[in-house]
Amino acid sequence: MRTDLRALGALALGFFLPLSLSFAQFQPALPGYRFGFPRDYFNHPDYQTEWWYYTGNLQSLDGHKFGFELTFFRQGVSRDPKQNSAWGLRDIYFAHFALSDLTGKKFFHTERTNRAGPGIAGVSLSLQKIWNGNWSVAWADGEERLTAFADSFALSLALHSQKPPVIHGDNGVSQKSAGPGRGSHYFSETRLSSSGSLTIENRKYSVTGLAWMDHEFFTHQLEANQMGWDWFSIQLDDHTELMLFQIRRKDGSIDPFSAGTFVDAQGRAIHLRASDFQLSPAQDASAAETWSSPVTHARYPVRWQIHVARLNLTLLVTTPLPSQELATRSSFVPSYWEGAILLQGKKNSAAVAGSGYLEMTGYDRPFSVGEF
Amino acid sequence: MALVELRNVIKDYDSNGEKIRALGGVSLAIEPGEFVAIVGRSGCGKSTLLNLAGAMDFPTGGEVLIDGQITSAAGDSTLTELRREKVGFVFQSFQLLHTLSAVENVELPLLLAGRDSARQTAADRLSAVELAGLENRMPHQLSGGQMQRVGIARALVHSPKILLADEPTGNLDNTTGARIMELLVRLTRENQTATLMATHSPEAAAVADVVVTMRDGKVVDIKRK
Amino acid sequence: MSGRLKLFWRLMVKPLGREPVRTTLTIAAVALGVAVVLAMDLAGDAATGSFHSSLETLSGQQDFEITAAGGVPEEIVGKLAELPYDWRITPRIEGFALVADSKRALPLVGLDLIGVAGRIPLPLTKPEALDKIFDANQSSFEDLAKQDSVWVGQSLNKTCGDALELLVNDRALTFTVRGVYPDDAGTGSAILMDMAVAQAALGITGRVDRIFIRIPRGATNSLDEWQRRAQQVLPQGVQLRAAGASTDENRKMLAAFRWNLRLLSYIALIVGAFLIYNTISVSVVRRRAEIGIARAFGASRLQVLLAFLLEAAVIGGAGALLGVPLGRFLATSAVKLMGNTVNALYLSSRPGEITLDPTSAFLAFFTGLFVTLVSAWSPAREAATSAPVEAMARGRVEHSVRVNKTLALGGAAALALLAAAMSRLPPVGGKPAFGYCAALLLVAASVIAIPAFTDAIMRISSRIFSRLLGVEVLLASRSLAGSLRRTSTLVAALSTAVAMMTAVGIMVGSFRQTVVLWMASELPADLYLRPAGSPATDQHPTISLGFSDQLAKLPGVLAIQRLRGYEISYEGKPATLASVELDDSHIEHSSDFLSGSSAESVLAELREKNAVIVSEPFSYKHGVRRRDIIQLALGESRATFRVADVYYDYASERGMILMDRNVLLNYLPDPAPSNIAVFISPGANPANVRAEIERAADRASARILVFANSDLRMQAVQIFDRTFAITYALEAIAVFVAIMGVAGALLALVIDRRRELGLLRYLGASSGQLRKMILAEAGLLGLLSNIAGLCLGIFLSLILIFVINKQSFGWTIRLHWPIAVILSGTSLIWLATVLAGWYPARIAVRLNPVEVIHED
Repeated sequence: MRTDLRALGALALGFFLPLSLSFAQFQPALPGYRFGFPRDYFNHPDYQTEWWYYTGNLQSLDGHKFGFELTFFRQGVSRDPKQNSAWGLRDIYFAHFALSDLTGKKFFHTERTNRAGPGIAGVSLSLQKIWNGNWSVAWADGEERLTAFADSFALSLALHSQKPPVIHGDNGVSQKSAGPGRGSHYFSETRLSSSGSLTIENRKYSVTGLAWMDHEFFTHQLEANQMGWDWFSIQLDDHTELMLFQIRRKDGSIDPFSAGTFVDAQGRAIHLRASDFQLSPAQDASAAETWSSPVTHARYPVRWQIHVARLNLTLLVTTPLPSQELATRSSFVPSYWEGAILLQGKKNSAAVAGSGYLEMTGYDRPFSVGEF
Repeated sequence: MALVELRNVIKDYDSNGEKIRALGGVSLAIEPGEFVAIVGRSGCGKSTLLNLAGAMDFPTGGEVLIDGQITSAAGDSTLTELRREKVGFVFQSFQLLHTLSAVENVELPLLLAGRDSARQTAADRLSAVELAGLENRMPHQLSGGQMQRVGIARALVHSPKILLADEPTGNLDNTTGARIMELLVRLTRENQTATLMATHSPEAAAVADVVVTMRDGKVVDIKRK
Repeated sequence: MSGRLKLFWRLMVKPLGREPVRTTLTIAAVALGVAVVLAMDLAGDAATGSFHSSLETLSGQQDFEITAAGGVPEEIVGKLAELPYDWRITPRIEGFALVADSKRALPLVGLDLIGVAGRIPLPLTKPEALDKIFDANQSSFEDLAKQDSVWVGQSLNKTCGDALELLVNDRALTFTVRGVYPDDAGTGSAILMDMAVAQAALGITGRVDRIFIRIPRGATNSLDEWQRRAQQVLPQGVQLRAAGASTDENRKMLAAFRWNLRLLSYIALIVGAFLIYNTISVSVVRRRAEIGIARAFGASRLQVLLAFLLEAAVIGGAGALLGVPLGRFLATSAVKLMGNTVNALYLSSRPGEITLDPTSAFLAFFTGLFVTLVSAWSPAREAATSAPVEAMARGRVEHSVRVNKTLALGGAAALALLAAAMSRLPPVGGKPAFGYCAALLLVAASVIAIPAFTDAIMRISSRIFSRLLGVEVLLASRSLAGSLRRTSTLVAALSTAVAMMTAVGIMVGSFRQTVVLWMASELPADLYLRPAGSPATDQHPTISLGFSDQLAKLPGVLAIQRLRGYEISYEGKPATLASVELDDSHIEHSSDFLSGSSAESVLAELREKNAVIVSEPFSYKHGVRRRDIIQLALGESRATFRVADVYYDYASERGMILMDRNVLLNYLPDPAPSNIAVFISPGANPANVRAEIERAADRASARILVFANSDLRMQAVQIFDRTFAITYALEAIAVFVAIMGVAGALLALVIDRRRELGLLRYLGASSGQLRKMILAEAGLLGLLSNIAGLCLGIFLSLILIFVINKQSFGWTIRLHWPIAVILSGTSLIWLATVLAGWYPARIAVRLNPVEVIHED
């Protein structure tokens, strides 16, 4: 279900909506899809929207803490077979890159948009590579190698997955609303041990840490009545992971298609329904609960309470750096908050802690399809 | 019949909007072969009188008759014609064209009038003023007296009936001046011209048949020999 | 100090007011001279700067540019984008399109609008321009996917949703305007498309025309290091240069052309200088007495010198000051004429905006002032050095110029010999500096010889013409000979103008005749086809392949010959690379080669080996001769070619390299031709064949133009004539200035000789005779100047043709005498000179002899 919300994100970027023109050229995500790897790490051009989403918490040897986000989007525009120029607009490739200097309390982010063009961006099974200019993920020697360069910051990481890919939802599809095809194919690598280096303002750090990868592809887009969403990826120190999201509707209610997945230490996934968990901003008067963006003036709740009754799990979510908003100057690309978080709580009465990433959208203005 | 006759001639000039009377009712007649000298101080109207007599100017009042023709009634071309046919001028500062040789200066009135055999006539005239052999000298190669002789030859080259001379000896020393006066008198007699000369030199006036004294634009005395 | 000022005022400035007409004429002469110099400077900037402005505005600040003959393989864009540097890669498609409704030719630019829109800030010098394109009110990304989307400048007067019909290559294509951006009053306008659309419109596949690289600001690495980084993904034939290098190349290519025009523009000023000299000389002569008085009262020589220089400065300053706005005004017309030349000979450019920058204005002003002071120096010095007594001595007679004729003629001969020697020296930095020195020396020689010449001619004229034409001519001749210095100055001024006219006339006439003869041998085909649109020399729009294939099969067509052109850069200079079909046995070739070899033997060599022939300007520019080996970057590779021969070419000043079509196709495989020559079968009716071709073009919806051989030649001659219009305009202005000078000088002469004129009236001259005399003086001045000018002009034309032209452009021009043109030109000038005497003659007639006879 996060699938669909992210789709909304992509659509927000892809202001080439309405998509009625091109819808028929793409296929919906239907139950019964059988994932196969490494094939499904790569491109699914039959589906209109697809993304690869890397986030993680890193730390240098001297204890300097960082968060990172590197995201590749592909948005199908046309499958007109008559287009034979390399510059023909079949897909638009977006990418976001952010580094959070959690110790230095600084947030860096940038974005880019390209078409495939003559090798400018793309996804290739044969090259084992997803790239947008000089931002890329390449599979080699059992590793996923992330590289990205921006004006004042850069990242180079090697990722090792410690668990097999986790497929979300039921029967290969993560349903988002009632009706066939209204969902996505969605899987994650929930525990990627990471090592490499990053550069911030001409200073290079050797880092290690844990990363998370999401990959979704689908065609059906979100309904128009949603305001935004809150999404959590959590890696606990008992070697388990948790993914949760909820969709906030414009009327203030929570969408019943909110969902999640728990991954146990052995890598087995348990699908969580909306009724299995509760996500709510923390009611703690002693600490700052919200952060106001000076750019978009959105107020983001930066302390959360998580309660998963089914797992007997309670967690308090805090962030070491409240200002992790990817604010954009463009009127087309929505701004959102995506940042590193810390977790503390109890699981079956035992103390548990962890780290993860939180994404919050729709706080500066409502998301509404077709308005852009 | 008088060749030049002035009948109560008045001449006014405009000077910065102010009217100045150069001649205030002058009457005068000159017969062929008669030599008339006009004496008086600078600005008494001598030159004005000469210009009127030479058809170079029109009177403001009265009449000027040249060989019987009233000048004020004539147009520019008629006056030019009159000068070409009937008038010769001699000037105080000789007024030779420095770019022309002696003979060329002399023949100029003939050429301007479109006469034939100008060169021969001019050479003859130069001989008549005793300058034979100096025909091709340029003015700056001549003495003052010689230049005035060239001026006289030029004034007479077209055999005018009227010879007008404005201080012809004014720029010459006494000896040379006297010889020029002799020449003028001789030529007046030979050619039977009506000669009118303005001068303030008593020596020059002494050779004239008639001496007219002028003051402030008026004739105050006429003496005949 | 105030006393000195008063003295200066009374002696020098006040007299200027006494002769308003003459002072005005002199000021006007300086003003025109300065105006022409400034106009040519401004127009040159505008006419040659526009290529820069229109395309550069749309690419913004860049550091490097990557180009290749026939285009850069587009994969390089991806390779560069993947390198681990935070640089910005901007690929660009460049072409030209003709807007169907306004017939306006505009650059057609293809940019990666997705990348542009996604990047912040936009890679533009004026980001707001492209930002507007994606203004939510105007258009959206959705439009990018459409194959008919274009964005245009405001100056096209289109609004969103309007249809825009463009003629691109030989196709008429209809687009939809998706957005409008501000384009600086149209000077920087271009038709903007997304890459894919531009490629489709221009028929390009797999290539882009240019890739820009912008390195990160604040990067510490050296430019060389960045260059090396980019170089690692570039194939051999692809060139990486500093951004703007090709614009610089174009500018350099135009430098010689601009230099020549600029020097030509100085003629009017030189003529003006003679007139200043004359004016100050007259002042000095007239005020001899005043100078004497001033000196007697203790004025120093320096003060007198300064007084006259100041007088000149007042005239020159006033003239130069007026010249600046006048120059700005003239530039508007000049830029049109100059634009024609640039388009015909060099590259397509739309004249840019004329901007009067303070530097140019000040430069022009001070040039005018400087020239004035230099020309006034000699008479002012003369005034200062003459002794007070001599100065006071009355004497209206201009102190006769003591011309030592032997010395003057000897000096003139020496200068002429020096000129001859200089004309044999090689160019300096590609510019015929010595050629210009030689020309200047010849002018100087003529100026020195002119007094003796004038004197001689006046002697003849006073003897012969006076007998034929009357005493007035005698008087005029004598008067002119009498004031020899004044006369000589005027003759020098006018004859210089006439000489330049004659020289340029002979050169252009010879050039024209050479081109006409050359075309007769170089254009053997019956019909010539090219895509409709603007025929600029650096553009090679193509004819669709399908249509050209049909052409050969049409009835009555014996053979076709396909030509293809590309713009390349050879050793830092723009050049045209062309291929021509040589394997059809039906076609007889008759090219003219420098070596004198037969066309068949040279072309046989071209067919067999990697050989090229190069044009004469190319050979000259690069020092490449027959049998030399040259290296060309073609597509992705570099290849060596033997120069089989050098051929005469007058079509363009850009160098040409020509090779066999099959050879070039190996390197640049695009088979679409730029031009097609059609040979008609013997016995076929040319009109029918032509109609057949036009029908076939209609069927293939190819927009092509068909020229009969004679049409093409006529068109070429028309273009040629348009090209040289500017030189005629410049000469006309110089002649005009000179004639103004004649009018002014005659006026001075009349005033100075009023006593003499009065005397003539006493001696029986009619007013008509006086008028005739003044007009005769004008006529004699004109005659003298025309004779002197023609003589000088003939020699100058030899320098122009064989030294300056050859060294600037490398063309071999065969000498030809355009007698009719020169005779009619000189007659016209003579007539104008006589007319210039009309006003002075009027003044002469109106003088009152009684008043002036005693003045002294």
